[in-house]
Amino acid sequence: MEEVIAILNEIRPAQNFSNAENFFDQGMLDSLDLTALVAALETHYDVFIDVDEIAPDNFSNLLAIKAILARKGVSV
Amino acid sequence: MSEMKDKPNARRVLLTGDTTLEPLGRLLERNQEAPAVVTSAAPYGQVFQILLDANHSAWTFQPNVLVVWTAAHITLPSVGKLIRFEGESPAAAYEAAIAEAEQFADSVLRAADRVDMVLVPTWVIPTYERWVQTLAWRQGIGVANLIARLNLLLAEKFAAHHNIVLLDAAYWQASLTRSAYDPRMYAFAKILYSQQLFEKAAAEMKAILRGSLGQTKKVVVCDLDNTLWGGVVGDDGSHNIKLGAPDPVGECFSAFQLVLKGLRSRGIMLAISSKNDEAYALSVIEEHPAMVLRKSDFVAWRINWRDKAENLLSLAEELNLGLDSFVFLDDSPQEREQIRQVLPQVYTPDLPSSPADYASFLSTLSCFETSSIGKEDLERTTMYRAERGRKEALDLSGDVENWLNSLQIKVQAAPLCRDSLPRAAQLLNKTNQFNLSLRRLDEKSLWDWAEQPSNAAYTFDVSDRFGNFGLTGLASLSLTGSEARIVDFVMSCRVMGKKVEEALLGYTLAQAKAAGAERIMAPPVDGPRNGPAKDFFASKFSSVESGAIDPGRVVIPPQINLMEER
Repeated sequence: MEEVIAILNEIRPAQNFSNAENFFDQGMLDSLDLTALVAALETHYDVFIDVDEIAPDNFSNLLAIKAILARKGVSV
Repeated sequence: MSEMKDKPNARRVLLTGDTTLEPLGRLLERNQEAPAVVTSAAPYGQVFQILLDANHSAWTFQPNVLVVWTAAHITLPSVGKLIRFEGESPAAAYEAAIAEAEQFADSVLRAADRVDMVLVPTWVIPTYERWVQTLAWRQGIGVANLIARLNLLLAEKFAAHHNIVLLDAAYWQASLTRSAYDPRMYAFAKILYSQQLFEKAAAEMKAILRGSLGQTKKVVVCDLDNTLWGGVVGDDGSHNIKLGAPDPVGECFSAFQLVLKGLRSRGIMLAISSKNDEAYALSVIEEHPAMVLRKSDFVAWRINWRDKAENLLSLAEELNLGLDSFVFLDDSPQEREQIRQVLPQVYTPDLPSSPADYASFLSTLSCFETSSIGKEDLERTTMYRAERGRKEALDLSGDVENWLNSLQIKVQAAPLCRDSLPRAAQLLNKTNQFNLSLRRLDEKSLWDWAEQPSNAAYTFDVSDRFGNFGLTGLASLSLTGSEARIVDFVMSCRVMGKKVEEALLGYTLAQAKAAGAERIMAPPVDGPRNGPAKDFFASKFSSVESGAIDPGRVVIPPQINLMEER
């Protein structure tokens, strides 16, 4: 998960993403950060995230990100 | 807004457009390279309101840079109609689009005076828009033809306004490896452009801001073996190095030298740091038939067996430039790593692993961005080589007085004019040592100040028998009643040590007296490096406290020929 944390910290350097329950509810990321996160994950892991998957719920914490990447055949 | 506390000297960039541009704002702020930037993204879809109304709330951000990024098919309704074959006819839509573009250009012109710089990406056709390829370039109806015509219209309308910069968005699009557009993000949040395009745009805008502030690299120091030619000349011999046709590897190095030559031609200086026998290496440079670069293309070289960091420091001293002006190109990863560790201010990029990519790699670099290229730039290498001539003459003459007399120095004074403005502003902003008041003004602000009736600015071109130093002096006066104040007094290091400053001050005093001044003040501003200016003026004051110049202490040196241009 280190790579994912590094990607998150590129977007918001000052935040600590390791233990947070919900990045969006806790104000660590906003919806525009979500678009940057989707782009970064796609580039880094060479996956495609479709328009109906771009929702905060799918990226709300490290486990959620792990799950959506797993659905696309990537294990982190 | 909390970032503002941390970036007191940041450029303030207002983003306006017809799609969501916040991602660009965030990338600009996150980008670590100078200058620091704080941004405000105006609500989208209010481009005309913001351009035309100086009282629009977007302006409370008090930007000094405005970005106007519109999509032709959104902001110019007739472009959209042409793409979708709506309306009366394609020809009618084509003509209507030109009128709409005129209106857009006029609106940008209205806003241009409120900021230091306006950045306007050119219009592009989205990469997914195939339209009807057979007709795309047809005169009077084609969509590609129209976009080209509209961009040329913008270039014409903005030609006189150098603070409006059209950015080549087609180049941005073409340089990406992924698509420039992201329909999912447009559906999600009206973000038309992909993250990769925003990243490219942010990097390019930063480079352009650096260029406008004069923070550009000035010198490229190259290695020789396997950098300027294939092989090691000391081992292989001059006949066996790979350079030029018919060897494909040799062709790659020729292409690389050609790009370097292009940089030299527009004012970037080339130097060499190589572990070789100096005489032999120079003979190869002068005599090898396939060399594109010759000795006269280089301002200096350190071809020896010493450590390259030592060589770079020595070159910096010789050229009287900071290490942060230097780029170091060397095929050896070890040499590069050493320089990165020891001299981190030098920009040491990795060269591509294949020489075939050297030329394109160098062409891609944005570290040489500049806001103008003038006579001084085109002649820079020649001028530096003339300086070598002067130094050699000093060594020969043995005596400084004799040497100064022998130089036949000429100083040409003139009022600041539009032609000299770019170089004058560059001098004002770049000079740290011989600078009395350390005012930093961009071109527009300097011109506006000098245009006021109580102010005047003069430029000085200096030359001697070895060559032309170019515009190397700037002095400005502000007159209040019978008291004149020397506001700016700036002289390039190039002409220090030749008593040129005496001539400049003499001329400035004469102008002040002619305008009716009885007292001439020269209040210095304390800076970390402007000792030379402060010391010079201190020796001219009638008393230390007064700050008033004693005209009796100012004499134009007889060996300097001071001429006036009206």
